[in-house]
Amino acid sequence: MISFDLLANTELAFERPAIDWHAAAPELVLLAWGALVTLVDLVWLEKARRFIPTLTGFGFLAALIPVVTLWADSDALPRQMFDGAYVTDELALVFKGLFLLSAYVVVLLGANYLNDGNYYDSEFYQLISASVLGMLIMASARDLVPIFIAIELVSIPAYLMAAWRKRDLKSNEAGLKYMLMGVFASAIMLYGMSLLYGMAGSTQISAIGEALTGLSDRPLVILGVLFTLIGFGFKVSAVPFHTWAPDTYEGAPTPLTAFLAVASKTAGFVALLTVILIGFESKSELVEPFMWVLAAATMTIGNLIALRQTNIVRMLAYSGVAQAGYMLAPLAVYSANPELSRSAVVNYLLIYAAMNLGAFAVVIIAARKTKSGEISSFGGMFQYAPGLTVAMTIFLFSLAGLPPVGGWLAKWRVFESLLFFGEGSTAPSLAGVLLAVLVALNSVVAAYYYLSVAKQMWFMPAVNDDNSTIKIPSALTIALAIAVVITVVSGVTNLMPELSTADFGLGQ
Amino acid sequence: MSEFFREYLIVFFFILLAVAAVGGLIGLSSAIRPNRPSKGKIKNYESGVDPTEGGWSQSQIRYYIFALLFVMFDVEAVFIFPWATVLEELGWFGLVEMVIFIFILALGLGYAWRKGVLKWA
Repeated sequence: MISFDLLANTELAFERPAIDWHAAAPELVLLAWGALVTLVDLVWLEKARRFIPTLTGFGFLAALIPVVTLWADSDALPRQMFDGAYVTDELALVFKGLFLLSAYVVVLLGANYLNDGNYYDSEFYQLISASVLGMLIMASARDLVPIFIAIELVSIPAYLMAAWRKRDLKSNEAGLKYMLMGVFASAIMLYGMSLLYGMAGSTQISAIGEALTGLSDRPLVILGVLFTLIGFGFKVSAVPFHTWAPDTYEGAPTPLTAFLAVASKTAGFVALLTVILIGFESKSELVEPFMWVLAAATMTIGNLIALRQTNIVRMLAYSGVAQAGYMLAPLAVYSANPELSRSAVVNYLLIYAAMNLGAFAVVIIAARKTKSGEISSFGGMFQYAPGLTVAMTIFLFSLAGLPPVGGWLAKWRVFESLLFFGEGSTAPSLAGVLLAVLVALNSVVAAYYYLSVAKQMWFMPAVNDDNSTIKIPSALTIALAIAVVITVVSGVTNLMPELSTADFGLGQ
Repeated sequence: MSEFFREYLIVFFFILLAVAAVGGLIGLSSAIRPNRPSKGKIKNYESGVDPTEGGWSQSQIRYYIFALLFVMFDVEAVFIFPWATVLEELGWFGLVEMVIFIFILALGLGYAWRKGVLKWA
């Protein structure tokens, strides 16, 4: 029977939701700190301008404190709020730590960059705080509504920041392209989400997972699942949804590019992991082939285009696209061993954050002297900046996946999940083996363009034989040091794989 | 078909009702009204004044900023109305929450004020 009396059974009594203040503390601290930064800017205007970056950086570190205390109190995890729509589990804490630390490094990178050229800069830090708040929410969201709010809270400030240098046409192009593509992606994703909600009758991911288990592959299910995934595909710049990335990366202020390439991409992956591993768990025969094609296309096309780039930022943009392909690969075989696939993706994200932020730090430092983004301008760097050259070589080796620095371990875990030599191992699937071959071939291609930058730095003469040294501001030195230490340590210790196997509380 | 999908029939009926209501009214009025087209009737309507320039003219960007500020108060109202209905049950907790919420929104207004957006220069 059709029930026209929609409100008959609705419970109208209001019940106040219980709030776990400790679990919400990282978000609340960051929110309060963002308000504080805005207030300081409003009260003192120009006089406070010099202190705003430092103040914002301390805000990210302050928000790390509750993350650490929550981690220490691990018996109480996972902590749930709002009937399981908001879950703080170990994995969420790992991601929150990653977001806050990389945001701190980005602030260090920006400190000396943004005030060149007399643009607004206090607002930049207020917006970046808002964007990071969105990421913290993303790590805990287990419901379509908070996931959507988080992804918009991450993206909307980023659209503004991409167009920051408003007198520079390229920056305008960057912001506009990013916004148009981002809005387009959000629209597709929302449409997919509305279909999922229509079928499951709930926005909670776990409830959607249960509802999908019972449903056959009717077209509505396929559209809902794929549209949602396509929306996240844009956010992680997977081929064929990557077209915004190179132009946005090139035109945006370079610190923001680092932020987009690392933190924003990780946020997209967090959403992807949550939705696939909880919501679409039973739909692996639909999701896996899609992710397979996405991963294969992303790594291959990203690498082939990166080969031809002469601008270092564009090269890093396309290499970032290719790296996203490696990260998507474990999701193409997730049904064999979901835990292994998840930890392979998380492990890659953690290591990728350190090495990519490091590479961008070197690009920013080098551009202070050369005022150029061309790879050829890196010539002779070993002559005048040996320390910087060694650091960059470490990052490039890591990005190429050469032992003993971090990147090889990241790739190793991807191979492990594809070929599945985990516990209780079964024979690897054909799809997994084929994808592993593709990852291997692509790594060789990628090594060429990463190492040719290293060659430029070590063996080629400097542009115009200009061997004057580069002055590195202390903020950039700290950022570089953090990135080098994490990249090296993650290659020789078991730290990142340990972190990446953190518990993934599923919500109710 | 499951009970759940069945309930979407209501939505379908509403769509039918909407099309029938609008189509019926427009159809009825076009059937009974006299039809005397003239040139003046297809002119753009600008508050009764004869239109000048084309329809493709620039508008002041400043209106846009004021519209944005308006949205801020709009959002505030959207959240305050439902809050007011449950304020008794929420007690002090609700009051403090709302003060914080309004403070954050007011920060936006303060920002606009301090940075001179409100001056019609």
